[in-house]
Amino acid sequence: MKKTYLYWLLLPGLLFLAVFMIIPIVLTIGSTLFKEGSFTFAGYLQFFKDPYFLKILLTTLEVSVASTLLSVLLGFPVAYYISQKAPRRKGVLLALAIFPLLTSPVVRSFSWMVILGRKGLINNALIWLGIVDKPLEILYTPVAMMIGMLHLFLPMMIISLVGVLENIDSDLITAAQSLGASRVKAFRKVVFPLAMPGLIIGGILVFVGSLTAYTTPALLGGKQRVISTFLYQNAMTLNDWFSASVIATIMIAITFVVVGLMNKLSNKLNPKG
Amino acid sequence: MSLLTLDHISVAYDNQLILKDFNLSIEQGQLVSLLGPSGCGKTTTLRLIAGFLVAKDGKFMFGGKDYTRVPVNKRNFGFVFQSYALFPHLSVFENVAFGLRLRKMKEDEVKRRVLRILEVVSLAGFEKRFPRELSGGQRQRVAIARALVIEPDLLLFDEPLSNLDANLRVSMRVEIRRIQQELGITTVYVSHDQEECFSISDRVAIMNQGNIEQLDAPSTIFRYPATEYVARFIGFQNFLHFSERQDTDGEIELTLGSQKFKAIKHQGTSHPDARKGAFRPDDLALTEQENRLTDNVLPGIIKVSTYLGRSYQYAVETEYGEFTVNQEMDTPYLSGQRINLIFPKEKMVLVE
Ligand SMILES: Nc1ncnc2c1ncn2[C@@H]1O[C@H](COP(=O)(O)OP(=O)(O)OP(=O)(O)O)[C@@H](O)[C@H]1O
Ligand SMILES: [Mg+2]
Repeated sequence: MKKTYLYWLLLPGLLFLAVFMIIPIVLTIGSTLFKEGSFTFAGYLQFFKDPYFLKILLTTLEVSVASTLLSVLLGFPVAYYISQKAPRRKGVLLALAIFPLLTSPVVRSFSWMVILGRKGLINNALIWLGIVDKPLEILYTPVAMMIGMLHLFLPMMIISLVGVLENIDSDLITAAQSLGASRVKAFRKVVFPLAMPGLIIGGILVFVGSLTAYTTPALLGGKQRVISTFLYQNAMTLNDWFSASVIATIMIAITFVVVGLMNKLSNKLNPKG
Repeated sequence: MSLLTLDHISVAYDNQLILKDFNLSIEQGQLVSLLGPSGCGKTTTLRLIAGFLVAKDGKFMFGGKDYTRVPVNKRNFGFVFQSYALFPHLSVFENVAFGLRLRKMKEDEVKRRVLRILEVVSLAGFEKRFPRELSGGQRQRVAIARALVIEPDLLLFDEPLSNLDANLRVSMRVEIRRIQQELGITTVYVSHDQEECFSISDRVAIMNQGNIEQLDAPSTIFRYPATEYVARFIGFQNFLHFSERQDTDGEIELTLGSQKFKAIKHQGTSHPDARKGAFRPDDLALTEQENRLTDNVLPGIIKVSTYLGRSYQYAVETEYGEFTVNQEMDTPYLSGQRINLIFPKEKMVLVE
């Protein structure tokens, strides 16, 4: 029996997406391709010739890539630890892990300002210990932005990794060991490839999140611009909606390229699974 | 000398002792089964041998070397899991090649060995498939191939057939036995299916709550169980608890109250103090004749009679408890009827 009528249930959701997402996106992208009534790529050429914009793009990508890689490095051990616990402990630990997501980005960023500033916790400690004699410039640098992003998005990585890791049958690891694998080898050849889907999803969430985040880079970056703050500046301060649309389209394009690349990578590392 | 010896081993989970003072030894080339009810410690024993668990006490000797503290990956034992534990992200070929690659074998040698062993388990042509594209029986054979291809010094099976249907179980167990004998690999096999264990093993260990009650050839266990527990496990339902035992030439004289019983002395039978007479329901007989003078008879009353198809089964009440008897006959005895219950001396097995 075919239940075609069930497809009608999809309609409200599709309608919502069409009206509030797909149409605006198409209109935005369309508007960037026409200037004074004629079709042109001029809007984009202008940006990619502009060293100031290219530097912003580069900083954005650097910060996003760095926070993604660090979230893997920091998130994997935590996620592995959590996934090995009994269900009740797991719940508590997961709740703790996602705690940063529950606080306002503004509050979070201000706390980092207190920690990272010239007279902040870190610099005071370093000077007191005699490791440096002048305060380090951390706040209002890409490093500060990256720390903020990492704090914000690490939970995403942890959640998606716990999701895959807890589904890996522990007999698989024992099996690998009985076939002669050391713990490290068993991890590399069994746990890691099986965790790949979670790693990719987590990676996409962290990367796209970092790429599009606004509050954190605005507060921790100072005069350092990233694409999102640059977009805001164009739209709100300069009232240049054409440039803002071009920037938005570039962000969308980067997101698609990165998601595509990540998927390719995951297929290569883990053909079926 | 035996290949494998577990010497006074203790194993505990969270301070709860599962194996206590456990002993087992296995000869080179034999297939030994561990048989027992759920929770008696079969898997625990197997995991201990494999090295997944560490003994709290005792010693594990293998091939004359102390293996107690040798880590899993240095033991070169093949383990076939109840869940098969195939690597879902690897093809059949790569699953089987897993252990060989860890041994840094040359690619063409890996290929040669993998293809050969897949032939042994009748899976040639399946190299490129992934585990989820296989049936249960095929997965199980991949699991066996993966354990065999490393040429293990010992092969360990944990209920490998429990997920298969009855027909496949029978053909797979024959297959396992064939491969095991062909390659001459010493094997420990865990199951709680009695028929399965008896049909493929050189020796069977009947386990009860972390202890081995009896370790013998299947036919020996079947004919001469050593303890009441083993006897019940393999279908003895009737027990006479004698008060005295006297051994004479070729015969044993036993006393139950005022009643005398005789048993035949079998070769190499159990403990000399064993004083429980065990009988299968098929081995007892009923008669209406009044022959109180002969030994090995108890008077009783039929309590319940059930029709089994080929025979009738009776529950017979006597002074010394209730007994279950199967008897083929045309017109059954009625309940309440007085009857004489015969315990043939040649059928009696004395157990502890
Ligand atoms: N990881 C564990 N933690 C605590 N207790 C355990 C653990 N694994 C097994 N046990 C206990 O140890 C005892 C023996 O378990 P084991 O798995 O060896 O039984 P088994 O004979 O293999 O049973 P089955 O036929 O059901 O597989 C059981 O009472 C079980 O509850
Ligand atoms: Mg078990």
